[in-house]
Amino acid sequence: MGVVIEFKNVTYTYPLTTEPAIKDINLSIEEGKFYGVIGENGSGKTTFCNVIRGFAPSFYKGELKGDVLINGLATTDYEEGQLALTIGYVFQNPFNQISGVKETVFEEVAFGLENFGVPVDEIERRVIDIMELTDITHLAEKNPFELSGGQQQRAALASIIVLEPDILVIDEPTSQLDPEGTESVFKIIAAMKKAKKTIILVEHKVDLIAEYADEILVFEKGHIIKRGITQDVLSDMSLLEHGVQLPQMARVGSELIKRGVKLDYIPVTTKQATEQLQQLLGKESK
Amino acid sequence: MKEKKYSIKKDFTLLALLLIPIAVAINFAGGQLASLLKLPLYLDTIGTIFVAMLCGPWVGGLAGLITNLVLGIANPIYIPFAIVNVAVGLVTGYLARKGMFANWWKWIISMVIMALASIITAAPIVVLMFGGITSSGTSLITATLMATGAGIWGAVISTELVFTVLDRIISFGITYLILRVVPERTLIKFSLGAAYIKTKKTAETVEEVTEADEDVDNL
Amino acid sequence: MWQEKLRIKKSNPIHGLYPFTKMWITLLYCICAMILSTITIDGYPVYMMASFLIIPVLAAATGVLKKISGVIKSIAIISLFIVLIQGILIKSDLILYSLNVFNLFNINFYTDSLQYGLVLAFSVLNMGCMVAWFFGATDNKELINAFEKRGMGPKASYVLLSTLQMIGVLQKSAKTIMSAQQARGVETEGNVFVRSKAFIPSMIPLILGSITNTEERVLTLESKGFLVKGEKTRLFDVKPNGKEPIALTIGILYAVAILIWRILLWVL
Repeated sequence: MGVVIEFKNVTYTYPLTTEPAIKDINLSIEEGKFYGVIGENGSGKTTFCNVIRGFAPSFYKGELKGDVLINGLATTDYEEGQLALTIGYVFQNPFNQISGVKETVFEEVAFGLENFGVPVDEIERRVIDIMELTDITHLAEKNPFELSGGQQQRAALASIIVLEPDILVIDEPTSQLDPEGTESVFKIIAAMKKAKKTIILVEHKVDLIAEYADEILVFEKGHIIKRGITQDVLSDMSLLEHGVQLPQMARVGSELIKRGVKLDYIPVTTKQATEQLQQLLGKESK
Repeated sequence: MKEKKYSIKKDFTLLALLLIPIAVAINFAGGQLASLLKLPLYLDTIGTIFVAMLCGPWVGGLAGLITNLVLGIANPIYIPFAIVNVAVGLVTGYLARKGMFANWWKWIISMVIMALASIITAAPIVVLMFGGITSSGTSLITATLMATGAGIWGAVISTELVFTVLDRIISFGITYLILRVVPERTLIKFSLGAAYIKTKKTAETVEEVTEADEDVDNL
Repeated sequence: MWQEKLRIKKSNPIHGLYPFTKMWITLLYCICAMILSTITIDGYPVYMMASFLIIPVLAAATGVLKKISGVIKSIAIISLFIVLIQGILIKSDLILYSLNVFNLFNINFYTDSLQYGLVLAFSVLNMGCMVAWFFGATDNKELINAFEKRGMGPKASYVLLSTLQMIGVLQKSAKTIMSAQQARGVETEGNVFVRSKAFIPSMIPLILGSITNTEERVLTLESKGFLVKGEKTRLFDVKPNGKEPIALTIGILYAVAILIWRILLWVL
């Protein structure tokens, strides 16, 4: 599969600071894969997203060393605004992801498509579909300012994925959601993956990351300290010492192995854990 | 800050444009609150002064224009006075660009220039269009002065002089207070914002701020 | 269909006119008022004064009289003061009427000044109220949409629309903050200095909050393709209601008639 995002020796420093927020990052992001980004607070995850989208340095100013290439072209070489066509970026605070000029959620979700110059009939069709997918159809006529945190988060997600960008960068989309809402957001993101989108998701809920992500990037103090296939990374118990949260199943699994239970591998998802336990129970009953 | 080539287009960044609605809203809220508190002032140029000090004369002037046009939707009397608000923005922005808010004596000169600009633009409108009347209580003073024999121009200008200078001093004072508490990482994003950054903070504190919002909701 | 749903429905034929048509009518009316101010009887701008009556009638026919009656009232008060100040305080040769107050002093109305005051006052009244009619009969959204179709840039229209929205929001939160300050015991009554001291701390958190929001708003707009090059489309679309030619014809006929009258008076 092709490489869509490439980091070459990337170091980025915010203005008025001396310590870089991300350091020496070399990385290739492959097309159509789902990347989970984890790490402690302030480890550089959001900066990483901003650098991909080009907001750092175009908006945040500061100093970017090295190259960030999106489809082979450096973010700093893109014409102002054009990256929106390639990268959909849903950021953390859902309360400010409102255009401020639309009176209904429907129009709010349609705002980006209007900017893209999509014909009106097509806008209607796409917005209706996306609102269905993100389960906000019932909010269509509400004022976006009057939505709850969770509703705003869904609306924010909807108004970006309706643009059908090739790359989705999503920064903690579930902070305002209950477990049920969180699960459904992950299902939406998984659906995007099926549609061959490349996904970069910053998320603290590792149990869900374990289930959906293909690969994991672990940030610490601006560095990527570990990366690889989800199964390998999330079963690495040494990460716990770096303050990284690991899935509950992995922790239970490794504890079991430590106590002498013979597991084939450390499970990271509930499904794997169930499989292993069934296998184990099957062995015993023989 | 380094000398850089100046262009109007550069002034109108998206951030500067988005500050305009806020400036207008501040003007509006200032005017509303002033009348709510029954102050004998307008306080309806605070936003214009603020945005002009951060983004320069053109953005400031535009903020002034939009303020009075929007106010004019509710009451068209405000529309001719747009020119006053535009003048406030242009003059303040120009003074800011020339570094005329750097110390106390420049500050006083700027204050006088800003007040003069307002009076020069306001007085003709008040006299020629409205025959000496404005919608504020200061009109009573103008009328009293005229009753004691002052000419209409003299009466309008002297009344405006006192209250405009007072208004600008207070408005500028408030603007200054706001600028002092705007985070530096925000200031730096505006074309004239760097001028208001005094102390260089240590790297850690700023980084903390920058990344702090990342994880508010994670607990 | 949403396009249909979003359209602002106006059954009144004048109310539903295209924004620019209403704008032309407003402009023609204001020009006519100025022309009429030069046609006087014994020095009084009687025709201009009489033409003002058109506005309440027009507003009633548009169905916005109630909506703009407050503005009309406040402009009328200012106009009244203009007449009084001019007529009494600006001295001229001829005294029209002298009012004796308790045998203490006289209040004189000067003829020339009063006439000039009436011209000023009715200019303000005519133009102010006509513009008030225009804004009363035109939704901001429609007006901005019409301008956009005439080539106004998306940035300009965004700034205007969000200004109008934000004023509504800020008005609300200013009230909330004021009442919160009051509840915390911050003085909003008392003398000017006490009140001023309450004013400043109530403003600053408000402003700081909105500035912080602005930063994220920039990123939001960029993410939603606000700066993408090329034509934008609009779901909301203001359309003419078909009565525009009639309305414009009436307006132009009125203007032409007054212009001819004015010229005839000069020539004859």
